Amino acid sequence: MFTTRVAYLFLLPALLLYGAFVLVPVGQVVAFSFFAWDNGVATGFAGLDNFVRLAGDDVFWAALGHNVIWVVLTLVFPLTAGLVLAAILAERSARTIRWLGAIYFIPRTIPLVVAGIIWGWIYNPIFGLLNYALEAVGLGGLAGAWLADQDSALISLNVVGAWTFFGFCVVIYLAAIQSIDPSLYEAADIDGAKWRHKFRHITVPLLRGTTLFLGLYASIEAMRFFDLVWVTTQGGPGYATEVLTTHVYKTFFLVGDFGYAAALSVVLLAIVLTISALAFSLLRAR
Amino acid sequence: MNRRPRIVQSAILAVFAVYALAPIYLVVLASMRSEADLFSGPLALPWPLDPTNFLRVWIEGGFSGFFVNSLIISSSVTVIILLTAPLAGFAFAKIRFAWREPLFALFLAGMVVPAPSVIVALYGNLQAFGLIDRQIGVILPQAAILMPFSVFMMRTVMQDIPDELIEASVMDGANPFLSFLAVAVPIARPGLMSLALIVFLFSWQEYLLPLVVLQTDALKPLTVGAANLQGRYGIDYGGIAAAGLIAFAPLVVLFLFMQRSFVRGLSAGAVK
Repeated sequence: MFTTRVAYLFLLPALLLYGAFVLVPVGQVVAFSFFAWDNGVATGFAGLDNFVRLAGDDVFWAALGHNVIWVVLTLVFPLTAGLVLAAILAERSARTIRWLGAIYFIPRTIPLVVAGIIWGWIYNPIFGLLNYALEAVGLGGLAGAWLADQDSALISLNVVGAWTFFGFCVVIYLAAIQSIDPSLYEAADIDGAKWRHKFRHITVPLLRGTTLFLGLYASIEAMRFFDLVWVTTQGGPGYATEVLTTHVYKTFFLVGDFGYAAALSVVLLAIVLTISALAFSLLRAR
Repeated sequence: MNRRPRIVQSAILAVFAVYALAPIYLVVLASMRSEADLFSGPLALPWPLDPTNFLRVWIEGGFSGFFVNSLIISSSVTVIILLTAPLAGFAFAKIRFAWREPLFALFLAGMVVPAPSVIVALYGNLQAFGLIDRQIGVILPQAAILMPFSVFMMRTVMQDIPDELIEASVMDGANPFLSFLAVAVPIARPGLMSLALIVFLFSWQEYLLPLVVLQTDALKPLTVGAANLQGRYGIDYGGIAAAGLIAFAPLVVLFLFMQRSFVRGLSAGAVK
Protein backbone atom coordinates (compact mmCIF):
# COMPACT_ATOMS: atom_id res chain seq x y z
CA MET A 1 0.00 0.00 0.00
CA PHE A 2 2.69 2.45 1.08
CA THR A 3 6.33 2.54 0.13
CA THR A 4 9.29 2.01 2.41
CA ARG A 5 10.11 5.68 1.98
CA VAL A 6 6.76 6.66 3.49
CA ALA A 7 7.37 4.34 6.42
CA TYR A 8 10.73 5.94 7.16
CA LEU A 9 9.28 9.43 6.81
CA PHE A 10 6.56 8.55 9.31
CA LEU A 11 9.13 7.09 11.69
CA LEU A 12 11.65 9.88 11.35
CA PRO A 13 10.39 12.43 13.93
CA ALA A 14 9.95 9.82 16.66
CA LEU A 15 13.23 8.15 15.84
CA LEU A 16 15.19 11.43 15.78
CA LEU A 17 13.94 12.45 19.21
CA TYR A 18 14.39 8.99 20.70
CA GLY A 19 17.81 8.65 19.09
CA ALA A 20 19.14 12.03 20.18
CA PHE A 21 18.03 11.89 23.81
CA VAL A 22 18.01 8.17 24.63
CA LEU A 23 19.88 5.96 22.15
CA VAL A 24 22.93 8.18 21.67
CA PRO A 25 23.36 8.83 25.42
CA VAL A 26 23.07 5.11 26.12
CA GLY A 27 25.82 4.49 23.57
CA GLN A 28 27.93 7.21 25.16
CA VAL A 29 27.44 5.74 28.63
CA VAL A 30 28.70 2.39 27.38
CA ALA A 31 31.72 4.14 25.86
CA PHE A 32 32.34 6.23 29.01
CA SER A 33 32.56 3.10 31.10
CA PHE A 34 35.78 2.03 29.35
CA PHE A 35 37.66 5.23 30.15
CA ALA A 36 39.29 6.78 33.19
CA TRP A 37 37.93 10.23 34.03
CA ASP A 38 39.13 13.20 35.97
CA ASN A 39 36.78 16.12 36.61
CA GLY A 40 34.61 15.33 33.63
CA VAL A 41 37.52 14.85 31.23
CA ALA A 42 38.51 11.44 29.88
CA THR A 43 42.16 10.88 30.76
CA GLY A 44 42.74 7.57 29.00
CA PHE A 45 41.44 4.18 28.02
CA ALA A 46 40.87 2.09 31.12
CA GLY A 47 39.71 -1.20 29.64
CA LEU A 48 37.63 -3.05 32.17
CA ASP A 49 39.08 -1.23 35.21
CA ASN A 50 35.77 0.44 36.10
CA PHE A 51 34.02 -2.92 36.02
CA VAL A 52 36.71 -4.62 38.09
CA ARG A 53 36.12 -1.99 40.78
CA LEU A 54 32.52 -3.19 41.11
CA ALA A 55 33.66 -6.41 42.74
CA GLY A 56 35.18 -4.61 45.72
CA ASP A 57 32.47 -1.93 46.07
CA ASP A 58 30.38 -2.85 49.12
CA VAL A 59 27.87 -0.10 48.42
CA PHE A 60 27.22 -1.53 44.95
CA TRP A 61 26.51 -4.99 46.35
CA ALA A 62 24.35 -3.59 49.14
CA ALA A 63 22.40 -1.53 46.59
CA LEU A 64 21.97 -4.50 44.26
CA GLY A 65 20.74 -6.56 47.22
CA HIS A 66 18.19 -3.89 48.09
CA ASN A 67 16.91 -3.83 44.51
CA VAL A 68 16.52 -7.60 44.58
CA ILE A 69 14.68 -7.43 47.92
CA TRP A 70 12.47 -4.74 46.40
CA VAL A 71 11.66 -6.99 43.41
CA VAL A 72 10.71 -9.87 45.71
CA LEU A 73 8.63 -7.72 48.06
CA THR A 74 6.77 -6.18 45.10
CA LEU A 75 6.03 -9.58 43.59
CA VAL A 76 4.82 -10.90 46.93
CA PHE A 77 2.69 -8.04 48.20
CA PRO A 78 1.10 -5.68 45.65
CA LEU A 79 0.86 -8.29 42.91
CA THR A 80 -0.83 -10.86 45.15
CA ALA A 81 -3.06 -8.23 46.71
CA GLY A 82 -4.01 -6.99 43.26
CA LEU A 83 -4.91 -10.48 42.06
CA VAL A 84 -7.05 -11.32 45.10
CA LEU A 85 -8.78 -7.93 45.14
CA ALA A 86 -9.52 -8.14 41.41
CA ALA A 87 -10.92 -11.67 41.77
CA ILE A 88 -13.21 -10.56 44.61
CA LEU A 89 -14.19 -7.35 42.88
CA ALA A 90 -15.03 -9.05 39.57
CA GLU A 91 -18.11 -10.67 41.16
CA ARG A 92 -19.53 -7.39 42.46
CA SER A 93 -21.86 -4.90 40.77
CA ALA A 94 -20.58 -2.66 37.99
CA ARG A 95 -20.88 0.34 40.29
CA THR A 96 -18.78 -1.22 43.04
CA ILE A 97 -16.17 -2.21 40.47
CA ARG A 98 -15.98 1.30 39.10
CA TRP A 99 -15.76 3.00 42.49
CA LEU A 100 -13.36 0.66 44.23
CA GLY A 101 -11.23 0.33 41.09
CA ALA A 102 -10.90 4.12 41.05
CA ILE A 103 -10.14 4.34 44.78
CA TYR A 104 -7.40 1.70 44.61
CA PHE A 105 -5.89 3.40 41.60
CA ILE A 106 -5.76 6.95 42.99
CA PRO A 107 -2.36 6.53 44.70
CA ARG A 108 -0.86 5.62 41.29
CA THR A 109 -1.74 9.09 40.01
CA ILE A 110 0.22 10.77 42.82
CA PRO A 111 3.83 11.62 41.89
CA LEU A 112 6.24 9.33 43.76
CA VAL A 113 7.97 12.40 45.12
CA VAL A 114 4.77 13.57 46.75
CA ALA A 115 3.97 10.05 47.95
CA GLY A 116 7.41 10.01 49.58
CA ILE A 117 6.77 13.35 51.27
CA ILE A 118 3.34 12.27 52.57
CA TRP A 119 4.60 8.96 53.93
CA GLY A 120 7.78 10.48 55.30
CA TRP A 121 5.50 12.58 57.42
CA ILE A 122 3.33 9.61 58.47
CA TYR A 123 6.52 7.77 59.48
CA ASN A 124 8.00 10.73 61.39
CA PRO A 125 9.05 9.36 64.81
CA ILE A 126 7.92 12.46 66.72
CA PHE A 127 4.97 14.04 64.89
CA GLY A 128 4.13 11.08 62.69
CA LEU A 129 0.73 9.56 62.47
CA LEU A 130 1.83 5.93 62.53
CA ASN A 131 3.36 6.14 65.99
CA TYR A 132 0.43 8.30 67.14
CA ALA A 133 -2.03 5.63 65.96
CA LEU A 134 -0.03 2.83 67.56
CA GLU A 135 0.00 4.69 70.90
CA ALA A 136 -3.71 5.37 70.59
CA VAL A 137 -4.57 1.67 70.31
CA GLY A 138 -2.18 0.71 73.10
CA LEU A 139 0.57 -0.66 70.87
CA GLY A 140 3.03 2.14 71.69
CA GLY A 141 5.71 -0.49 72.21
CA LEU A 142 5.74 -1.09 68.45
CA ALA A 143 6.35 2.57 67.67
CA GLY A 144 9.63 3.15 65.90
CA ALA A 145 11.75 5.55 63.92
CA TRP A 146 10.72 3.75 60.68
CA LEU A 147 12.70 5.48 57.92
CA ALA A 148 15.46 6.55 60.32
CA ASP A 149 16.09 3.02 61.55
CA GLN A 150 18.43 0.79 59.53
CA ASP A 151 16.33 -2.29 60.22
CA SER A 152 12.98 -0.90 59.15
CA ALA A 153 13.85 1.76 56.54
CA LEU A 154 13.76 -0.39 53.40
CA ILE A 155 10.60 -2.27 54.29
CA SER A 156 8.86 0.96 55.38
CA LEU A 157 9.70 2.48 52.01
CA ASN A 158 8.42 -0.60 50.24
CA VAL A 159 5.02 -0.12 51.89
CA VAL A 160 4.93 3.27 50.14
CA GLY A 161 5.92 1.71 46.82
CA ALA A 162 3.22 -0.92 47.24
CA TRP A 163 0.72 1.81 48.07
CA THR A 164 1.27 3.43 44.68
CA PHE A 165 1.34 0.12 42.77
CA PHE A 166 -1.31 -2.32 44.02
CA GLY A 167 -4.20 -0.40 42.45
CA PHE A 168 -2.50 -0.62 39.07
CA CYS A 169 -2.36 -4.41 39.51
CA VAL A 170 -6.06 -4.51 40.46
CA VAL A 171 -7.04 -2.59 37.33
CA ILE A 172 -4.93 -4.72 34.98
CA TYR A 173 -6.06 -8.00 36.56
CA LEU A 174 -9.70 -6.87 36.49
CA ALA A 175 -9.55 -6.19 32.76
CA ALA A 176 -8.05 -9.65 32.25
CA ILE A 177 -10.60 -11.45 34.47
CA GLN A 178 -13.44 -9.77 32.64
CA SER A 179 -12.17 -11.31 29.42
CA ILE A 180 -12.32 -14.86 30.85
CA ASP A 181 -15.21 -16.91 29.44
CA PRO A 182 -17.97 -16.73 32.13
CA SER A 183 -19.20 -20.22 31.25
CA LEU A 184 -16.09 -21.62 32.98
CA TYR A 185 -17.25 -20.13 36.29
CA GLU A 186 -20.86 -21.19 35.64
CA ALA A 187 -19.78 -24.78 35.06
CA ALA A 188 -17.75 -24.70 38.28
CA ASP A 189 -20.76 -23.31 40.15
CA ILE A 190 -22.93 -26.16 38.90
CA ASP A 191 -20.34 -28.60 40.19
CA GLY A 192 -20.57 -26.83 43.57
CA ALA A 193 -17.02 -25.48 43.55
CA LYS A 194 -16.07 -23.12 46.39
CA TRP A 195 -14.72 -19.61 45.72
CA ARG A 196 -11.15 -20.52 46.55
CA HIS A 197 -11.29 -23.51 44.20
CA LYS A 198 -12.49 -21.37 41.33
CA PHE A 199 -9.78 -18.85 42.18
CA ARG A 200 -7.05 -21.48 42.20
CA HIS A 201 -8.15 -23.59 39.26
CA ILE A 202 -9.68 -21.06 36.88
CA THR A 203 -8.62 -17.49 37.67
CA VAL A 204 -4.95 -17.99 38.55
CA PRO A 205 -4.01 -20.31 35.67
CA LEU A 206 -5.85 -18.26 33.04
CA LEU A 207 -4.22 -15.05 34.21
CA ARG A 208 -0.68 -16.40 33.90
CA GLY A 209 0.07 -14.09 30.97
CA THR A 210 -1.12 -11.03 32.89
CA THR A 211 0.88 -12.10 35.94
CA LEU A 212 3.95 -12.43 33.76
CA PHE A 213 3.39 -8.95 32.33
CA LEU A 214 2.88 -7.37 35.77
CA GLY A 215 5.83 -9.31 37.15
CA LEU A 216 8.02 -7.93 34.37
CA TYR A 217 6.68 -4.41 34.90
CA ALA A 218 7.19 -4.63 38.67
CA SER A 219 10.71 -6.04 38.37
CA ILE A 220 11.83 -3.34 35.93
CA GLU A 221 10.39 -0.60 38.13
CA ALA A 222 12.01 -2.19 41.19
CA MET A 223 15.40 -2.15 39.49
CA ARG A 224 15.19 1.46 38.32
CA PHE A 225 13.13 3.39 40.88
CA PHE A 226 14.73 6.54 42.22
CA ASP A 227 12.31 9.34 43.23
CA LEU A 228 10.89 7.60 46.27
CA VAL A 229 14.28 6.91 47.85
CA TRP A 230 15.80 10.23 46.89
CA VAL A 231 13.06 12.34 48.43
CA THR A 232 12.86 10.34 51.68
CA THR A 233 16.15 8.77 52.77
CA GLN A 234 18.64 9.49 49.94
CA GLY A 235 19.89 5.95 50.47
CA GLY A 236 20.36 6.22 54.23
CA PRO A 237 20.49 5.74 57.13
CA GLY A 238 24.01 4.55 56.33
CA TYR A 239 23.47 2.56 53.15
CA ALA A 240 20.27 0.89 54.40
CA THR A 241 18.14 2.06 51.47
CA GLU A 242 20.84 2.59 48.85
CA VAL A 243 19.71 1.31 45.44
CA LEU A 244 21.52 1.18 42.09
CA THR A 245 20.02 4.42 40.79
CA THR A 246 20.94 6.42 43.91
CA HIS A 247 24.45 4.95 43.74
CA VAL A 248 24.70 6.08 40.10
CA TYR A 249 23.37 9.53 40.96
CA LYS A 250 25.79 10.05 43.86
CA THR A 251 28.77 8.68 41.94
CA PHE A 252 28.00 10.99 39.02
CA PHE A 253 26.76 14.23 40.59
CA LEU A 254 28.41 14.19 44.02
CA VAL A 255 31.67 12.28 43.46
CA GLY A 256 32.01 13.29 39.80
CA ASP A 257 33.45 9.92 38.80
CA PHE A 258 32.01 9.66 35.28
CA GLY A 259 33.68 6.36 34.37
CA TYR A 260 32.49 4.50 37.42
CA ALA A 261 28.99 6.02 37.25
CA ALA A 262 28.88 4.85 33.63
CA ALA A 263 30.00 1.34 34.59
CA LEU A 264 27.26 1.19 37.23
CA SER A 265 24.75 2.39 34.62
CA VAL A 266 25.86 -0.26 32.15
CA VAL A 267 25.35 -2.96 34.78
CA LEU A 268 21.90 -1.59 35.57
CA LEU A 269 21.04 -1.50 31.85
CA ALA A 270 22.30 -5.05 31.36
CA ILE A 271 20.13 -6.26 34.25
CA VAL A 272 16.89 -4.66 33.03
CA LEU A 273 17.48 -5.72 29.43
CA THR A 274 18.18 -9.32 30.52
CA ILE A 275 15.05 -9.43 32.67
CA SER A 276 12.93 -8.12 29.80
CA ALA A 277 14.46 -10.44 27.22
CA LEU A 278 13.74 -13.39 29.53
CA ALA A 279 10.17 -12.34 30.22
CA PHE A 280 9.63 -11.55 26.54
CA SER A 281 10.72 -15.01 25.43
CA LEU A 282 8.46 -16.53 28.12
CA LEU A 283 5.52 -14.48 26.81
CA ARG A 284 6.35 -15.48 23.23
CA ALA A 285 6.56 -19.15 24.16
CA ARG A 286 2.99 -19.18 25.42
CA MET B 1 -22.01 -18.20 47.48
CA ASN B 2 -22.77 -18.51 51.17
CA ARG B 3 -22.70 -15.50 53.42
CA ARG B 4 -19.55 -15.84 55.50
CA PRO B 5 -16.90 -15.70 52.79
CA ARG B 6 -18.69 -12.75 51.26
CA ILE B 7 -18.38 -10.76 54.49
CA VAL B 8 -14.70 -11.64 54.78
CA GLN B 9 -14.21 -10.60 51.17
CA SER B 10 -15.99 -7.30 51.71
CA ALA B 11 -13.75 -6.67 54.71
CA ILE B 12 -10.67 -7.24 52.54
CA LEU B 13 -12.00 -4.80 49.95
CA ALA B 14 -12.64 -2.23 52.69
CA VAL B 15 -9.22 -2.59 54.35
CA PHE B 16 -7.46 -1.87 51.07
CA ALA B 17 -9.75 1.07 50.37
CA VAL B 18 -8.61 2.53 53.70
CA TYR B 19 -4.96 1.81 52.83
CA ALA B 20 -5.42 3.68 49.54
CA LEU B 21 -7.31 6.67 50.89
CA ALA B 22 -6.07 7.24 54.46
CA PRO B 23 -2.83 9.03 53.52
CA ILE B 24 -4.70 11.30 51.12
CA TYR B 25 -7.37 12.02 53.72
CA LEU B 26 -4.66 12.96 56.23
CA VAL B 27 -3.02 15.35 53.80
CA VAL B 28 -6.33 17.06 53.10
CA LEU B 29 -6.97 17.44 56.85
CA ALA B 30 -3.49 18.74 57.60
CA SER B 31 -3.58 21.22 54.74
CA MET B 32 -6.68 22.94 56.12
CA ARG B 33 -5.71 22.94 59.77
CA SER B 34 -4.81 26.25 61.38
CA GLU B 35 -1.79 26.54 63.64
CA ALA B 36 -4.00 27.09 66.69
CA ASP B 37 -5.77 23.82 65.93
CA LEU B 38 -2.50 21.92 65.56
CA PHE B 39 -2.63 20.17 68.88
CA SER B 40 -6.09 18.62 68.69
CA GLY B 41 -4.47 15.56 67.11
CA PRO B 42 -3.93 14.65 63.45
CA LEU B 43 -7.24 12.83 63.08
CA ALA B 44 -9.51 15.54 64.49
CA LEU B 45 -11.46 17.43 61.87
CA PRO B 46 -9.79 20.80 61.36
CA TRP B 47 -12.03 23.62 62.48
CA PRO B 48 -12.28 26.38 61.52
CA LEU B 49 -11.14 25.46 58.00
CA ASP B 50 -8.08 27.51 57.32
CA PRO B 51 -6.86 28.45 53.82
CA THR B 52 -3.66 30.10 55.15
CA ASN B 53 -1.49 27.09 54.30
CA PHE B 54 -2.59 27.19 50.67
CA LEU B 55 -2.21 30.94 50.40
CA ARG B 56 1.24 30.80 51.99
CA VAL B 57 2.70 28.16 49.64
CA TRP B 58 0.81 29.47 46.61
CA ILE B 59 1.99 33.06 46.97
CA GLU B 60 5.09 33.15 49.17
CA GLY B 61 6.22 29.58 48.46
CA GLY B 62 6.12 30.18 44.71
CA PHE B 63 3.74 27.31 44.00
CA SER B 64 1.67 29.35 41.57
CA GLY B 65 4.82 29.50 39.44
CA PHE B 66 5.65 25.81 39.91
CA PHE B 67 2.10 24.97 38.90
CA VAL B 68 2.36 26.96 35.67
CA ASN B 69 5.75 25.37 34.95
CA SER B 70 4.33 21.87 35.42
CA LEU B 71 1.53 22.80 33.03
CA ILE B 72 3.96 24.16 30.43
CA ILE B 73 6.33 21.20 30.61
CA SER B 74 3.66 18.48 30.66
CA SER B 75 1.55 20.07 27.91
CA SER B 76 4.60 20.50 25.67
CA VAL B 77 5.67 16.90 26.19
CA THR B 78 2.13 15.74 25.42
CA VAL B 79 1.93 17.79 22.22
CA ILE B 80 5.34 16.55 21.01
CA ILE B 81 4.33 12.95 21.65
CA LEU B 82 0.98 13.41 19.88
CA LEU B 83 2.76 14.84 16.83
CA THR B 84 5.30 12.01 16.55
CA ALA B 85 4.20 8.72 18.17
CA PRO B 86 0.95 8.15 16.18
CA LEU B 87 2.84 8.45 12.87
CA ALA B 88 5.47 5.98 14.03
CA GLY B 89 2.82 3.63 15.43
CA PHE B 90 0.99 3.77 12.12
CA ALA B 91 4.15 2.91 10.19
CA PHE B 92 4.87 -0.08 12.45
CA ALA B 93 1.27 -1.32 12.31
CA LYS B 94 0.31 -0.72 8.70
CA ILE B 95 3.37 -0.49 6.46
CA ARG B 96 5.64 -3.36 5.49
CA PHE B 97 9.25 -2.27 5.17
CA ALA B 98 12.76 -3.60 5.57
CA TRP B 99 14.09 -3.27 9.13
CA ARG B 100 10.59 -3.04 10.59
CA GLU B 101 11.13 -5.71 13.24
CA PRO B 102 14.62 -4.61 14.35
CA LEU B 103 13.55 -0.96 14.51
CA PHE B 104 10.50 -1.87 16.55
CA ALA B 105 12.67 -3.94 18.89
CA LEU B 106 14.90 -0.87 19.29
CA PHE B 107 11.89 1.11 20.49
CA LEU B 108 10.70 -1.74 22.73
CA ALA B 109 14.09 -1.90 24.46
CA GLY B 110 13.77 1.77 25.33
CA MET B 111 10.73 1.03 27.49
CA VAL B 112 12.95 -0.40 30.23
CA VAL B 113 15.92 1.98 30.08
CA PRO B 114 16.46 3.58 33.51
CA ALA B 115 16.53 7.39 33.33
CA PRO B 116 19.48 7.74 35.78
CA SER B 117 21.66 5.65 33.42
CA VAL B 118 20.84 7.90 30.48
CA ILE B 119 21.48 11.05 32.49
CA VAL B 120 25.15 10.20 33.03
CA ALA B 121 25.75 11.10 29.36
CA LEU B 122 22.65 13.20 28.67
CA TYR B 123 23.66 15.82 31.24
CA GLY B 124 26.90 16.62 29.42
CA ASN B 125 25.12 16.71 26.06
CA LEU B 126 22.51 19.14 27.34
CA GLN B 127 25.32 21.28 28.72
CA ALA B 128 27.12 21.22 25.38
CA PHE B 129 23.97 22.36 23.56
CA GLY B 130 23.17 25.07 26.12
CA LEU B 131 19.97 23.36 27.24
CA ILE B 132 20.77 23.23 30.96
CA ASP B 133 18.51 25.42 33.09
CA ARG B 134 15.99 25.75 30.26
CA GLN B 135 12.61 24.07 30.20
CA ILE B 136 13.19 22.80 26.66
CA GLY B 137 16.09 20.81 28.16
CA VAL B 138 13.53 18.93 30.25
CA ILE B 139 10.78 18.74 27.64
CA LEU B 140 12.75 17.13 24.79
CA PRO B 141 14.44 14.37 26.85
CA GLN B 142 11.18 13.64 28.65
CA ALA B 143 9.32 13.22 25.38
CA ALA B 144 12.16 10.99 24.16
CA ILE B 145 12.02 8.81 27.29
CA LEU B 146 8.23 8.44 26.95
CA MET B 147 8.51 7.74 23.21
CA PRO B 148 8.98 3.93 23.33
CA PHE B 149 5.87 3.40 25.43
CA SER B 150 3.90 5.82 23.23
CA VAL B 151 4.99 4.20 19.96
CA PHE B 152 4.21 0.76 21.36
CA MET B 153 0.76 1.86 22.46
CA MET B 154 0.05 3.60 19.14
CA ARG B 155 1.06 0.51 17.19
CA THR B 156 -1.51 -1.50 19.18
CA VAL B 157 -4.16 1.15 18.50
CA MET B 158 -3.36 1.46 14.77
CA GLN B 159 -3.45 -2.31 14.27
CA ASP B 160 -7.20 -2.20 14.87
CA ILE B 161 -7.82 0.08 11.90
CA PRO B 162 -9.29 -1.91 8.99
CA ASP B 163 -6.89 -2.14 6.02
CA GLU B 164 -9.79 -1.71 3.58
CA LEU B 165 -10.44 1.84 4.77
CA ILE B 166 -6.83 2.84 4.24
CA GLU B 167 -6.73 1.13 0.85
CA ALA B 168 -9.91 2.92 -0.21
CA SER B 169 -8.47 6.32 0.65
CA VAL B 170 -5.24 5.52 -1.20
CA MET B 171 -7.28 4.47 -4.26
CA ASP B 172 -9.05 7.82 -4.10
CA GLY B 173 -5.66 9.37 -4.66
CA ALA B 174 -4.98 10.70 -1.18
CA ASN B 175 -1.30 11.00 -0.38
CA PRO B 176 -0.06 8.84 2.51
CA PHE B 177 -0.04 11.65 5.05
CA LEU B 178 -3.56 12.75 4.13
CA SER B 179 -4.93 9.24 4.38
CA PHE B 180 -3.25 8.93 7.78
CA LEU B 181 -4.96 12.16 8.88
CA ALA B 182 -8.33 11.48 7.30
CA VAL B 183 -8.69 7.76 8.01
CA ALA B 184 -6.41 6.64 10.83
CA VAL B 185 -6.59 9.61 13.19
CA PRO B 186 -10.40 9.80 13.49
CA ILE B 187 -10.67 6.06 14.20
CA ALA B 188 -7.78 6.17 16.65
CA ARG B 189 -9.17 9.14 18.54
CA PRO B 190 -10.01 7.26 21.79
CA GLY B 191 -6.51 5.79 21.74
CA LEU B 192 -4.99 9.22 21.15
CA MET B 193 -6.97 10.55 24.11
CA SER B 194 -5.64 7.77 26.35
CA LEU B 195 -2.11 8.41 25.15
CA ALA B 196 -2.39 12.13 25.82
CA LEU B 197 -3.68 11.55 29.37
CA ILE B 198 -1.02 9.02 30.28
CA VAL B 199 1.84 11.03 28.84
CA PHE B 200 0.59 14.11 30.67
CA LEU B 201 0.39 12.12 33.92
CA PHE B 202 3.87 10.62 33.59
CA SER B 203 5.37 13.94 32.64
CA TRP B 204 3.71 15.72 35.58
CA GLN B 205 5.06 13.04 37.93
CA GLU B 206 8.64 13.30 36.64
CA TYR B 207 11.22 14.40 39.16
CA LEU B 208 14.77 13.42 38.21
CA LEU B 209 15.10 15.30 34.91
CA PRO B 210 13.82 18.67 36.13
CA LEU B 211 15.82 18.19 39.34
CA VAL B 212 19.14 17.98 37.52
CA VAL B 213 18.40 20.21 34.50
CA LEU B 214 16.68 23.22 36.10
CA GLN B 215 18.53 25.41 38.58
CA THR B 216 16.47 28.60 38.53
CA ASP B 217 13.49 28.41 40.89
CA ALA B 218 11.27 30.26 38.44
CA LEU B 219 11.56 27.37 35.95
CA LYS B 220 10.94 24.39 38.24
CA PRO B 221 7.82 22.18 38.21
CA LEU B 222 5.71 21.13 41.21
CA THR B 223 7.53 17.89 41.99
CA VAL B 224 10.85 19.68 42.47
CA GLY B 225 9.18 22.55 44.31
CA ALA B 226 7.46 20.22 46.76
CA ALA B 227 10.65 18.26 47.43
CA ASN B 228 12.57 21.49 48.08
CA LEU B 229 9.90 22.77 50.44
CA GLN B 230 10.23 19.61 52.47
CA GLY B 231 13.95 20.15 52.82
CA ARG B 232 13.75 23.83 53.66
CA TYR B 233 10.97 24.03 56.21
CA GLY B 234 11.10 20.52 57.61
CA ILE B 235 8.44 21.13 60.22
CA ASP B 236 5.88 23.21 58.33
CA TYR B 237 3.46 20.32 57.99
CA GLY B 238 0.51 22.47 57.02
CA GLY B 239 2.52 24.02 54.21
CA ILE B 240 3.93 20.71 53.02
CA ALA B 241 0.47 19.15 53.03
CA ALA B 242 -0.95 22.05 51.04
CA ALA B 243 1.96 21.87 48.58
CA GLY B 244 1.50 18.12 48.16
CA LEU B 245 -2.18 18.60 47.51
CA ILE B 246 -1.51 21.26 44.88
CA ALA B 247 0.96 18.87 43.22
CA PHE B 248 -1.34 15.85 42.99
CA ALA B 249 -4.93 17.14 43.05
CA PRO B 250 -5.02 18.00 39.31
CA LEU B 251 -3.93 14.46 38.46
CA VAL B 252 -6.50 12.84 40.74
CA VAL B 253 -9.28 15.02 39.31
CA LEU B 254 -8.15 14.30 35.75
CA PHE B 255 -8.09 10.59 36.48
CA LEU B 256 -11.52 10.52 38.14
CA PHE B 257 -13.10 12.31 35.18
CA MET B 258 -11.32 10.31 32.50
CA GLN B 259 -11.07 6.95 34.26
CA ARG B 260 -12.07 4.89 31.25
CA SER B 261 -9.52 6.52 28.95
CA PHE B 262 -6.77 6.05 31.51
CA VAL B 263 -7.47 2.40 32.10
CA ARG B 264 -7.71 1.67 28.38
CA GLY B 265 -4.30 3.22 27.85
CA LEU B 266 -2.59 1.54 30.76
CA SER B 267 -3.89 -1.89 29.92
CA ALA B 268 -2.97 -1.55 26.24
CA GLY B 269 -0.82 -4.54 25.47
CA ALA B 270 -1.12 -5.94 28.98
CA VAL B 271 -4.29 -7.93 28.48
CA LYS B 272 -3.62 -9.30 25.02
